[in-house]
Amino acid sequence: MIDFHGVSKVYGNGVKGLDDVSLTIEQGEFVAIIGLSGAGKSTLLRSINRMHSITAGRLTVNGLDVSGLKGKALRKFRRGIGMIFQSFNLVSRTTVIKNVLSAKVPDMPFLRVLFGIYNKKEKIAALEALDKVGILDKAYIRADQLSGGQQQRVALARTLAQEPQIILADEPVAALDPVTAKQVMDDFRRINRDMRISVLINIHHVELALEYADRIIGIRAGKIVYDGPVQAVDEAMLDTIYEGKLPREVEKPA
Amino acid sequence: MSAYDKVFKPRRITLPSGKSILEKRSRMPLILLGVLALTALSVRITGFSFGPLLSRGNQFFVILRQMYPPNMKYLSSIWVPLFDTIKMSLLGSAVGSLLAVPFAVIAASNMIKSRLVLTLTRLFLSVVRTLPTLVTALIATYIFGLGTLAGTLSIAIFTFAYIGKQLYEQIETVDMGAFEAMEAMGGTRFSSFWVAVAPQVLPAYLSTCLFCLEGNVRYAAILGYVGAGGLGMILNEKIGWRDYPSVGMILIVLFATVVVIEALSHYIRSKLT
Repeated sequence: MIDFHGVSKVYGNGVKGLDDVSLTIEQGEFVAIIGLSGAGKSTLLRSINRMHSITAGRLTVNGLDVSGLKGKALRKFRRGIGMIFQSFNLVSRTTVIKNVLSAKVPDMPFLRVLFGIYNKKEKIAALEALDKVGILDKAYIRADQLSGGQQQRVALARTLAQEPQIILADEPVAALDPVTAKQVMDDFRRINRDMRISVLINIHHVELALEYADRIIGIRAGKIVYDGPVQAVDEAMLDTIYEGKLPREVEKPA
Repeated sequence: MSAYDKVFKPRRITLPSGKSILEKRSRMPLILLGVLALTALSVRITGFSFGPLLSRGNQFFVILRQMYPPNMKYLSSIWVPLFDTIKMSLLGSAVGSLLAVPFAVIAASNMIKSRLVLTLTRLFLSVVRTLPTLVTALIATYIFGLGTLAGTLSIAIFTFAYIGKQLYEQIETVDMGAFEAMEAMGGTRFSSFWVAVAPQVLPAYLSTCLFCLEGNVRYAAILGYVGAGGLGMILNEKIGWRDYPSVGMILIVLFATVVVIEALSHYIRSKLT
């Protein structure tokens, strides 16, 4: 369970990233966070795994106060949270399996990290993760040889190999074409349903958000302006979230 | 509007639609003028003149002619100093490039946030880099005595400072995405660097090491002048004796060695990227 209680984040230059945010996300939810660029979507997501720190309020994950975490405790906490990025953030010069295996590195002893020695159990786990996202056959190909969609799946497999309870995805399909984007969203849905992993996605595609998520969080200038089930999102609500700038042709699917 | 634009007025380009935009005049004439002035100034300060080069330049060919034919009999005594030279440059390059890695990491601004650590490490690398190899070799001969150990050490020191700077600049240009991902997964700074950044800089690092080795072979050849062993030692001796045919032989061997090492290094570097 992720619990925001009056959370605010003010950047060094005085910009308010988050403004008195309170919300609770239960284990296993599929949440889409929508809003304009700069509204605070990334800040909200990244404050959960302390990639950004908050300046006021209380943020707990499974009862653990995130703000107080430091050093080893913070690293241990992050082991339970997977993260997916817009630009995949893979080590492009190495093979797909090495990328997935990197999820095991934080738990490995120093010497094995230094020499890059992975044991059989870790390799099997990595290959199984690749199999779950359907690209097992690409395991020994260099990551930069793959298409964008395949690279995002490698990133997803890397996250799965980490065995997280929560996956935070920051614009995971923004760099992908519409067809590939849907395939990757299908992967997220499957992972959410089959493994009961909470999925929080920042997304610009309103139609994908409405199609895949169970719950929508609308954010505007750092404030939560909508938080509720996907069925209750209507045109007027989207206008509020996007400050009335959303083009008309984006309709809620029937 | 800058002063330059006031003197050389920008040109107005008008489109058929009537809209127009100002195109600024090129700054190139000003830069050329500056370069020319500085060149003239440096000629005056250094007292450079073509006169002696024209009147005495033929002396260069006199010595060159005396080197021919090279003394083939001398070849057998060149092998040991030659291998000393190669040994010094190989070992020195290897030690220096390995030692440079940890310093390069703590000199890279995207790896270390502390301004103090960055400044101190960079200052240290700069200071070491300003030491001429010949001078470090000379000092090393006082400490370790005459021989290849002094040469190896001075080459290692130079390589360390050179690779250290090159590598930290390469580290600063890497894509930080994978590093961010590693940190988000709970990796330590070291393991994140090792897994996400090291593979990105490895080819460039090896390439720089090989490039440095090429130069070091030539450096190692003259270190013998200060007693640090290798080809320079016999080169110095033979020039002293005015035994130019033997000098010619040494230069041919050195030339061949440098060509072989450069070709080898060029080939490996072309395979790296």
